[in-house]
Amino acid sequence: MPNTMILKRNTRSLSLLAAAAALLMSAGSAMAKDIVFGASVQLTGPVANTGRYYRDAYELAIDKINAAGGIKVGNEKQKIVLKLYDNQSDVNLSVRQYTQLVSQDKVNFLLGPFASNFALADSAVSEKYRIPMVQGGGASDQIFSRKFKYIFGTLAPASNYFGSTIDMMKGLNPAPKSVALLYADDAFDVSVAEGTRPKLKEAGLNVAMDERYSTNATDFNSLLSQIRSKNIEAVLVAGHETEILNFVRQAKSLAVAPKMYSFTVGVPSEDFRKALGKDADYAFGMTAWLPSADQKDRWFGDAAQFAAAYKAKFNYEPDYHAASGAADVEALAQAIEDAGTTDPAKVRDALAKVKFESLYGTIAFAANGQIDLPQTVIQVQGDQLEAIYGIHGAIKPPKYPMPAWNAR
Amino acid sequence: MKALQIPAVLIALIVLAAVPWFGSDVLVQFGINALLLAVLAQGWNIIGGYTGYASFGNSVFYGLGSYGVGIAMVQWELPFAVGLAFGVVLSVAFAILLGIPVLRLKGHYFAIATLALAQVMTAIVSNVKIAGQNIGLVLPPLNNDLLFYELALGLLVVATLTIYWLSRSRFGFGLIAIRENEEGAAVMGVNTTLYKVLAFALSGVFSALAGGIHAYWVTFIDPESAFDISLNVKMIIMAVFGGPGTVFGPIIGALSLSAISEFLSSEITSIAGLFFGVVVVAAVVLMPRGLADMLRRFRTTGWRYFAENIKATRL
Repeated sequence: MPNTMILKRNTRSLSLLAAAAALLMSAGSAMAKDIVFGASVQLTGPVANTGRYYRDAYELAIDKINAAGGIKVGNEKQKIVLKLYDNQSDVNLSVRQYTQLVSQDKVNFLLGPFASNFALADSAVSEKYRIPMVQGGGASDQIFSRKFKYIFGTLAPASNYFGSTIDMMKGLNPAPKSVALLYADDAFDVSVAEGTRPKLKEAGLNVAMDERYSTNATDFNSLLSQIRSKNIEAVLVAGHETEILNFVRQAKSLAVAPKMYSFTVGVPSEDFRKALGKDADYAFGMTAWLPSADQKDRWFGDAAQFAAAYKAKFNYEPDYHAASGAADVEALAQAIEDAGTTDPAKVRDALAKVKFESLYGTIAFAANGQIDLPQTVIQVQGDQLEAIYGIHGAIKPPKYPMPAWNAR
Repeated sequence: MKALQIPAVLIALIVLAAVPWFGSDVLVQFGINALLLAVLAQGWNIIGGYTGYASFGNSVFYGLGSYGVGIAMVQWELPFAVGLAFGVVLSVAFAILLGIPVLRLKGHYFAIATLALAQVMTAIVSNVKIAGQNIGLVLPPLNNDLLFYELALGLLVVATLTIYWLSRSRFGFGLIAIRENEEGAAVMGVNTTLYKVLAFALSGVFSALAGGIHAYWVTFIDPESAFDISLNVKMIIMAVFGGPGTVFGPIIGALSLSAISEFLSSEITSIAGLFFGVVVVAAVVLMPRGLADMLRRFRTTGWRYFAENIKATRL
């Protein structure tokens, strides 16, 4: 019958297709000595806008390493080849593509996708085939709590976003007497809040407000009134850019001015500061990466040169996603050199022990595979964005306390 | 059923069941996904194809099935099978509680009401502590694609047998009567409310089981992915492409569209989405009654089949 014929023909043509694809691919990567890195990244679909950072960073870092002659494996230098797929922002497709990369394309090592939910699903593939994956796109603590041995992450843990800010707050004079912790109700911001709560307690700060608000909220009037009536002196907000824009604007219109406020996102972005104009002044924020010349790097020289090369090649500014992606490539390169072989298990062990300075910061992984990258506290001071507090303590004095809105 | 049909189906089934032994890992993964989509399309076929109620709420059943497995395995540390059963219980309860009011609506109003259900469920589950709120649940990984593949295939067989039974039972004829003329059916003595709710629940059972298998396979669920409305759109497209209200149509639709989509996404990455849309538009214009109908009628009418359909849609 026609119906069932179609069924059969389908499976047969599919397996033929898969076989043909496998043939083509093995012909493509026939050059014996190259080390192949595989990745499936969101190049189309809803999150393609961030996905492109990873494609571009991987390409740039690999080109740079190849231009320098490649990686030293034992006594000979080998070049890196990138095998990249577009997962169309579809988790199921990305899992299949990673399976394809390891089982048919036979890539040596894996680079990660963007976003935690992708990394969660895809890390199962690297674990199953015992091929190390270094990913710079997923920060969720869940990725690293499964006792997987082949997943490494270079995005700073969500739970530690406010860590450096709290360290800075301890040294403020006068110290803030009461703190409000506000956070959006999505996975990432809830993790930020869960990590921040114990840190605030440890620092001896009095948490007078601990409130969750719904993602994409536009009205912060009631939260702001509470801040005023409870006389809160420091406000920490984990949320999204539009929410934070609204928060600051409404704080101004209600004339609510705590001694300081700090936001997880927005402050480092130029668009954010432009949107608020002068009202952005005094806002604290954080960033895991600044393109500074102090951040030395073996391949690019330093972070500033990386940013310049990136901008020159792709015509837009890199952000921490791009730096994290480039660091993934460098971490694998370093681990392969340390191991002196491309044996996946040995490179995995080398990755666990790796420790080096890069354009992204010090790359070293904790036992669970996640980097512990401190956030640098930044503040808008006049027209400038200043780094205030970093790994080695204070960089520049903060403007504190924030004056009342009518006293600016 | 003609004499040749049963052996042909059996042979197809054996070939499908043997895929994990001769196919590559990628083909098996593709198979799991395509088979689960086929189950979803079959599930939708019961309420959308046979009963004529275009449900956009089937992704809710899928999500409840996912969370049934997630909650049972992560929070209560129960076995997978218990999770599947829990998911089915949740979705049947949901189908009965919400089906009774929602199934009173017809046509566009029914579609809109069910569309809202998925959105509401996302918001509700995001605030349920045992479901991990917005963070979702991470299930223990099980690297056994063979098991998932055969489970998905088995589920598809059960769903298809159920629909085969529907196509020749009193219950199924009642549903078709509701689709063709609901008032007429009521006059003829069909308890339309009961029939519709049962069809909705039956549709929910298969969607929930597919969701449960998928959750364990992908090892991670969060509200956004579990109640993803685009999945519901996919099952409708697949069922309609293959032929709604037929026994094998949705399977053919799901497997062929999955294969086309997979091929396009690996060959012409950047415009794959566009091509897929073109395929769907062409299918709706050229063969609005689905592949199954085209295959049946093409032999007698030849190329005129397409011309007639174009004429019928008055382009």
